[in-house]
Amino acid sequence: MSDVPPSDVHDDDLPDMTAGEFALGLLDGDAGAAATRRVLAEPAFARSVEAWRLHFAQLFAQWPEMPAPDLFARIERSLHGSGAATVATLPVRTPSKLWPGIAALSSLAAAALLVVLFTRPLAVPPRPQAPATPRVVETGPTLVASITPTAKGAPVTVVYNAGAGSLRLTEASLADAKRTAELWVIPAGGTPHSLGLLAAHGGTALTLTAENRARITAGATLAVSLEPIGGSTTGLPTGPVVATGALSRV
Amino acid sequence: MIDSAPRHPASAVAETADAARVRLVEALIRTGEEDRAAFRDLYSLTSAKLFGICYRICGERQAAEDVLHDVYLTIWKRAGAYEPARASPITWLATIARNRAIDWQRAQTVRRSTPIEDAPPILDTAPLVSETMLEDEASHQLHACLDSLEERQRAAIRTAFFDGVTYAELAEREAVPLGTMKSWVRRGLARLKACLEG
Repeated sequence: MSDVPPSDVHDDDLPDMTAGEFALGLLDGDAGAAATRRVLAEPAFARSVEAWRLHFAQLFAQWPEMPAPDLFARIERSLHGSGAATVATLPVRTPSKLWPGIAALSSLAAAALLVVLFTRPLAVPPRPQAPATPRVVETGPTLVASITPTAKGAPVTVVYNAGAGSLRLTEASLADAKRTAELWVIPAGGTPHSLGLLAAHGGTALTLTAENRARITAGATLAVSLEPIGGSTTGLPTGPVVATGALSRV
Repeated sequence: MIDSAPRHPASAVAETADAARVRLVEALIRTGEEDRAAFRDLYSLTSAKLFGICYRICGERQAAEDVLHDVYLTIWKRAGAYEPARASPITWLATIARNRAIDWQRAQTVRRSTPIEDAPPILDTAPLVSETMLEDEASHQLHACLDSLEERQRAAIRTAFFDGVTYAELAEREAVPLGTMKSWVRRGLARLKACLEG
């Protein structure tokens, strides 16, 4: 650090270490969004990110402990929704008026995604849809996700009703005049599948196909990308991913 | 968390560490089954570790407490998805804590440009077996490879991990141009990768 730093270091001269940078959390803004999109669209990149995370996780052993306040009673009270006010003190939260308890489940974009990646094997190839064994969803659980914008903005709450195969989203202001917001599901270890386009104004209600219903499981990730009007034509996200969140059981 | 006296013979220490890890895995799995008593046990076993993580990244006590609260709510919700074969329990928990603390930190409009002063220092040494639940070969390998980096490369990577900062903040702290910081980190990561895969 003593030598004079060169002022003309160009990215092109350096090795591409995006996966490692993303795993460390160094990237923000456009670079972070671009890397998030690669995690969603490129299984090899996602595996590389996970490998880095597993390596860096070794450093947790060095993290010094600190006597923690006894928050257990407060946490336990929150488990049944009575603690919503406490959770709301976090500036990152914008509790939904419709589903107050659900806000507590939200997590920010890449971080949430990485927990999913980190806890789920990525090496498993996407499971082929086996028509012989249709998944029974009629009695399945209600699932929720809070998909959090990578930039500013309030999280969008998503509720999946397994009985009806329907997905409801609160109002999202993620798109602009020239692009459409498209919702994707990324099953653990899988590739993105389009669930539909979000309404430009107000909430969105989507009825899912049987294939997509089978993909809506706890631990799967929902993501919103910006696509040309009418949606992606490639079957995969082509524009920036502007919000992600993990599905959880209510 | 691990009650090991320094004078214990190494085998006894290792046994204690194993027993603690087993206890932790059990507490986490039973938390996934919505067992409140197990959840309480999990809190008492891990809150000091997770609070240390939240405090360092958030940089203030009140925020760290709120994030810790949120972390345990997340753990309660997600514990059912924990797979013991995939990651050690403390790694799984610590990852949630680091991610949530970074969520909070990135959501702040005013960002800290200097490290917090009163967080316990992080020692730049491989942990002793008595101090960790993570000890294994992979840990030795990572530390050996980190040690092979140039000092400024290693320092930048470690700060990124422990303080949860972005490139811009890292460059500001070291008072170097962004391009220089990127060069240190990328060359360091490339070397680390070669060492880890070698």
